[in-house]
Amino acid sequence: MKDVQSENDIKISIRHLYKIFGARPQEALEQVKNGMGKTELQEKHGHVLGLNDINVDVPSGKTTVIMGLSGSGKSTLIRHLNRLIEPTAGEVWVDGENILEYNDKQLRKLRKVQMSMVFQKFALFPHRTVLQNAGLAPSVEGERERKYADEARKWLDRVGLEGQGDQYPHQLSGGMQQRVGIARALTSNSDIMLMDEAFSALDPLIRTDMQNLLIELQNELQKTVVFITHDLDEALKLADHLVILKDGFVVQQGEPQHILLNPADPYIEDFVSDINRARVLRVRSVMERTTKPLAETAGDIDHDDTLESVIALSEGDTTLSYRVIKDGAPVGLLNMRKLVRALVPSEQSDDPDSARRSG
Amino acid sequence: MATYDFVFDGLGLRDWCGDAGGGGLSSMADLLSETSGEEATVSAWDTPFPSLDALHEACDKIPQSRELTLGLERGFLDIKDTLKIVVDPITQPLSWALENTLWLMQATPWWIMIPALMLIVYLVGRSFKLVGLVAAAFGFLAFVDYYDYTMQTLAIIFVCAVICVIIGVPVGIAMSRSDKVQRVMIPILDMLQTLPPFVYLIPLIFLFSVTEPKLYGIAIILYAMVPVIRLTDLGIRLVDKDVIEAADAFGMTKRQKLYGVQIPLALPNIMAGVNQTIMMSLAMVVIASLVSAPGLGVLVLRGIRNLELGVGLLSGLGIVLLAIILDRVTKAALARINASQPR
Repeated sequence: MKDVQSENDIKISIRHLYKIFGARPQEALEQVKNGMGKTELQEKHGHVLGLNDINVDVPSGKTTVIMGLSGSGKSTLIRHLNRLIEPTAGEVWVDGENILEYNDKQLRKLRKVQMSMVFQKFALFPHRTVLQNAGLAPSVEGERERKYADEARKWLDRVGLEGQGDQYPHQLSGGMQQRVGIARALTSNSDIMLMDEAFSALDPLIRTDMQNLLIELQNELQKTVVFITHDLDEALKLADHLVILKDGFVVQQGEPQHILLNPADPYIEDFVSDINRARVLRVRSVMERTTKPLAETAGDIDHDDTLESVIALSEGDTTLSYRVIKDGAPVGLLNMRKLVRALVPSEQSDDPDSARRSG
Repeated sequence: MATYDFVFDGLGLRDWCGDAGGGGLSSMADLLSETSGEEATVSAWDTPFPSLDALHEACDKIPQSRELTLGLERGFLDIKDTLKIVVDPITQPLSWALENTLWLMQATPWWIMIPALMLIVYLVGRSFKLVGLVAAAFGFLAFVDYYDYTMQTLAIIFVCAVICVIIGVPVGIAMSRSDKVQRVMIPILDMLQTLPPFVYLIPLIFLFSVTEPKLYGIAIILYAMVPVIRLTDLGIRLVDKDVIEAADAFGMTKRQKLYGVQIPLALPNIMAGVNQTIMMSLAMVVIASLVSAPGLGVLVLRGIRNLELGVGLLSGLGIVLLAIILDRVTKAALARINASQPR
């Protein structure tokens, strides 16, 4: 971990990754590199372009969310990180090693020790108890149940499944099954957790619970999480780093607040227009940076507060200004008028097109 | 003369054929026309299919169909000795297994054997109703003095079913892992399943002496092995792809996946295959009595040969009872496996 920290905190780095599905991917790759698009490739060559020149850096100890609609290649992309799918071309560096050069044994070690995965459909082993499922990683190493039971039980307790160890997966509800899935990933003690639409199959209330659980765990453990979702609300809630995929290429990536305030293209504008911005945007993203002491502030707010909480605090009075505090020191000023302006998607007022799009 | 003379005349093959029609009489029709003293005239309506026999009439060089079957027989007899050198040692353990199991099950006194069978049934099915059924069935068969025959049949089924599983499950696994193997195996399995059971017996009679138990053992195994292979293949292919992906994602080796995930999850299907295999070996063991397989089938055969209606009916009933028991017991085992791992 330590030497990774020195490498600008990058845990996984994906370089020029291409994936083409079809009979002769290498020939199709040439076409794609010469600029052929997804639809054209499909029509002329019958090959499906899965991923197109993906370059993503996954920061260590943070949650990276890869978001895209179905067919955008996000599930394909996450499966390249542990090579459940082999790429057509490109590199995937994990802790400074190109895992595409790994042989079978190294690859199994990577999957056992460095990475764990949580699946959309849970993918628990129906013939094993919850405890045995949670202890999958140590049992793959050949450990007996007696030996790994304590560790597995600890994580089952942590995700809220106290005393359920002897049940079978089918006896649990969907949300509880996914908790087992998370406990299974945590028991492996890997640095990296890959979560493939982990909460998409759950109903909304349970999904919120699970998101909060993940945030809690993340504050505690600081794993490198790669999270796939098609839900922008979920993405904005969880992400430290957001990557937006469309038709197999990265449209925009960066800090979620930044993407929200500065969408790179109409596709993303469309996406962000439906969002409850007051709940997502933080004070730090819209405040004026200043350390000058100001006399007429209505009070202090934290830099990480949501705009929603500030509006509640001001009771809708747009004439107020607040002093923004970070770690006890003042870092800026937030004017309520500026806050209200930030709630309207950018350029909407002078761009009739995007106004129409946002409905 | 013959219908297809014109073909050979037209193609200029008359010389190659030799003296057309001058040869010996070869067909029944010829003989009939000879005796009735009139030339057989063939109307267009009755034009025979250009078969081997019909062509032979026109040209002696074309073989008759009976020469074809004779040729097949001679061919088989020619390779028989070489085949025996290979097949004999491989199949010898089957003979020993059958002989010893037959001996063991008959030598064990009934008052040990029947309780032992009841115990096994209880361990497999955990149902006293089933144990009662088994006790009643064996009690009845022993009461009408068919105990020995029943034990012989049971011994043969036991040995053959075990061997079917030992061979069939690995073959099924191989099929599930490779589409190529599956493509090769499916026509073979189709053939084994559709070939009339009697046909198995013919080449086996030529290969082995009728005194060797492996003669009927091989016939039963070939016939009964198909379902367990098919259902093992199917069962493993039906294992949830997501679960397999999870196994991969956590770094399981192929071996761990097979024994830890695929076989346990395919077990209900495999057991359904075992059930079918046992039922099919029971069907075949009756037919195999034609080639000296002992057991209830011998009584059925006696019933047919000597027109002993009573013997035939009673032994038929015995086979039905045995079938019910075997089916219920294996199904009970299957139900227990299913109950332990519902999806």
